[in-house]
Amino acid sequence: MMAERSQGDLTLKIEFEGETLEAHPGESLAATLTAHGIRSFRTTERGAERGVFCGMGVCQDCLVEVDGRPNERACTLKVDRPMMVRREVSGRTPPAVGVVPSRPPITIEDIPIKRPEVLVIGAGPGGLAAAYAARLAGAEVLVLDEGSAPGGQYFKQCSAADVVPPDTQHREGRQLIDDVLTSGVTVLSNASVWGAFPPLEFAVTMSGSTFCVQPHQAIVATGAYDRGWPVPGWTLPGVMTTGAAQTMWRTARRLPGKRVLIAGNGPLNLQLASELVAGGADVVAVVEAAPTVGVRRAKEVAAMLATAPGLVADGIRHLSRCRHAGVRMINGSVLTSVGHHSRGVLATIDGREAGEFESDVVCLGYGFHPSNELLRALGCSHVFDPEQRRLVTVRDARGATTVAGVWALGDCARLGGARVGLAEGTLAGFAAARALARPLSAKAARLEAHAEATAARHRRFQKALWRIYRMEESLFPQPASNTVICRCEEISYGQVEAALAEGADSPREVKQRTRIGMGRCQARYCAPALEDFLAERIGRLPDEYCGFAPRVPIKPVRVADLANPLDV
Amino acid sequence: MQPTTLNGALPSDIEIVVVGGGLLGLCVAGFLAEEDREVAIIDAGRPDGTTTNAGSLHVQMQSRFLRLYPDQVPALEAGLHLYPKAVDFWFELQRHLDADFGLKASGGLMVAESREQLDFLAKKAERERSLGLDSKILDRDELDQIAPYLGPAVVGAELCADEGRLDALKANTALRRWVRRVGVMVTGETSVDRVSRDGGRFKLDTSRGTVRAATLVIAAGPGSLTLAEPFGLTLPVESEPLHMNITEPTDLFIGHLVQHADRMITVKQLSSGHVVIGGGWPADLSPSEDYAAVRLSSIIGNTSLAQHIVPAIGRLRIIRTWAGINTPTGGPGILGPIHGAPNAFLAIPGEAGYTLGPLSARLVADTVLGRRPTEDLAPFSPSRFR
Repeated sequence: MMAERSQGDLTLKIEFEGETLEAHPGESLAATLTAHGIRSFRTTERGAERGVFCGMGVCQDCLVEVDGRPNERACTLKVDRPMMVRREVSGRTPPAVGVVPSRPPITIEDIPIKRPEVLVIGAGPGGLAAAYAARLAGAEVLVLDEGSAPGGQYFKQCSAADVVPPDTQHREGRQLIDDVLTSGVTVLSNASVWGAFPPLEFAVTMSGSTFCVQPHQAIVATGAYDRGWPVPGWTLPGVMTTGAAQTMWRTARRLPGKRVLIAGNGPLNLQLASELVAGGADVVAVVEAAPTVGVRRAKEVAAMLATAPGLVADGIRHLSRCRHAGVRMINGSVLTSVGHHSRGVLATIDGREAGEFESDVVCLGYGFHPSNELLRALGCSHVFDPEQRRLVTVRDARGATTVAGVWALGDCARLGGARVGLAEGTLAGFAAARALARPLSAKAARLEAHAEATAARHRRFQKALWRIYRMEESLFPQPASNTVICRCEEISYGQVEAALAEGADSPREVKQRTRIGMGRCQARYCAPALEDFLAERIGRLPDEYCGFAPRVPIKPVRVADLANPLDV
Repeated sequence: MQPTTLNGALPSDIEIVVVGGGLLGLCVAGFLAEEDREVAIIDAGRPDGTTTNAGSLHVQMQSRFLRLYPDQVPALEAGLHLYPKAVDFWFELQRHLDADFGLKASGGLMVAESREQLDFLAKKAERERSLGLDSKILDRDELDQIAPYLGPAVVGAELCADEGRLDALKANTALRRWVRRVGVMVTGETSVDRVSRDGGRFKLDTSRGTVRAATLVIAAGPGSLTLAEPFGLTLPVESEPLHMNITEPTDLFIGHLVQHADRMITVKQLSSGHVVIGGGWPADLSPSEDYAAVRLSSIIGNTSLAQHIVPAIGRLRIIRTWAGINTPTGGPGILGPIHGAPNAFLAIPGEAGYTLGPLSARLVADTVLGRRPTEDLAPFSPSRFR
């Protein structure tokens, strides 16, 4: 049965398991399904239901079958045509094995190679700033971005102008994107950089075909992804990251649910609450892990006002909007479990305040992890930062890594937020151009000096901010035997415990015994949780080798795409 | 390297020391410990951590081998009868351990894309039948009955009944549990720098101290070369890093171990639903030679060939690639006592070593125990390399 395009192209029809849904063209399939109250997209091998979690193409939990193609990520798939969508059900016979067309085998010689002077990976604030700077200095610049449009997470744009009125943050991003595009930078969207090979080669798939990039200079600006929060029920449909909920709202003006509970640590949760309230959602509560800001934090507040008064004003605006709407603001507590409920999910919190909340959706925003996979694959040195409890890329003040020709900026190198990313992008872009022997104009030199000052200022802001938002370690999730730590392979803490009892003493050994980290998300959520667990249980402290060795491909890559060289 | 608390203290004096904790080392040590012998494994890396095999069970002669080493074909044929026995032995070991290796021997298909390739396979099958293998040629119609997943380019195939696959992770986990249960001491991240005689015993100078042992079993893959030198042997062992890919899991649809008459490829689907694509594409050793790194050219060449032969693979996504070290021996394995060096033994299985591993280990263990092995080990004698 063919789905039909509706009149006037205002909506597209999506067939989902016998239901017909109306989609806004340009929104993600996940947004369409969620807007129609569909939360379960998939059943795992063990019969567990899954839906949208990360909302940014990382967790691989929102996989659906689209027009006969299995394992499509609903969160990154843009609705640009009528679609037939089915739930992925483990154990169901795959569709029509015999009629899949194949391609003749190819070799590496068939894969075209692009050789730009500067390659920027990631079109978030930092990547765009870097591209703009390098181009301003006269370099030929190629930007590759996995998203369907430039902007990254912070500057993600509205998918359909007639549906979504843009706000200040949208407009600032639009300006930067337009500046980059008009400056003569080539920006390729839907381009997944899935492999990095020393000394300096990248493998890319884009819209179903493959190419390589061997740049003179590579600027890695791959950002960050949300940290997991392994408590009972964190894999249930209806539990998603704050970033996922924000993407639905900011790109498609779709609410993640009518009743929303937000739990996490950091200012993004407050912004989400404020935006959803404005969008008409009933935000049940914002559960912040950090204690209330008191007079003890006067020094930090003063530092923040001195470094970024605009951001402080934004925060106050979000807070007052939530207060005005009567949103419960709870400090010093965390989400400890999520369960099914007749009309949605039931969340339990504990800490300074304990209680249960019913809602359609629980949003989790407990911080981020740097997306440093490409940097690690290239052999760039990293050190473990005990304060951030994260790996940090070793860089000089301009973003040069320990590998010649590789620059790193923004959250992928060290978590610091969009403003730091923007400034570091400018610095790295100019530095890469300088490495190409491009002299900087007077204007460029001014921008560089300004970026240097801005970067320092916003780092001071971040330092003060995270002192205020510091949460007590006692609030971290307590690993319970039945709790899933590895979402993909459905491995519990109990299984990890059993592996330790057998003598395993490193992430690698636990992996070989349990399959933890061997699934589609490439261990992005379980590896940090496992490090924490090993530190606690056997005193194994994270080091440069923490997590698992970065493996190619860093994101799953379809075999048909590998066999299809980009037509140049 | 990472600090370790797992590995037992290095024994200073022990009855039997096995150098190398891969499949061979684990099995030899396990069989000996089951006979109440005191056994320790010393591994230069993470013990049983380097077993990165993809889990093919090979029986028929691999065309890759025939093409690369035509001069070694007679020697290979002389050892061919071991392969079906080795597959049987995997099943026996699985029963013995009461474990689940994810074993399946539903046959292997070597596909042909042309009349010429099919003729080559027909001659090969005839030769193999004369050597006792269950091999036959299937035309396209017959293939459609048993292997509808094959693409239109395939005109026929050789079916070898005993071939199959196992899940190497499951097998390795079960073997590790077994050796610990039967009391083998396992020490990792300990390299053996020098082996010498000290009275009636062997003296091993290691990176973590000296070990003395009455009996020495060298099961160190490519590392066996330097360990065997003090005994006057120059082993033709090499270190061959090979590339592998694995897809996301899907419903079971590939029932055979699939190979090609003229190209390097193996395709199989594990019991977990993951499709493993390998077959001898090259990888690189890192400068320090302690791990192997994948090549982009192997990812492209290997996976694009896989979807050509099994088109449905095109729809799946590759979620991981890795490289494992193969140890070619320039012919049959090197198994048994080192003549002129009483109580010193070698255990290197040779081509398709993972398939041959447990049986080879059993044969070596029997000679260590002073029993007569079930196979004549003369063709595998280390003395060939004196």
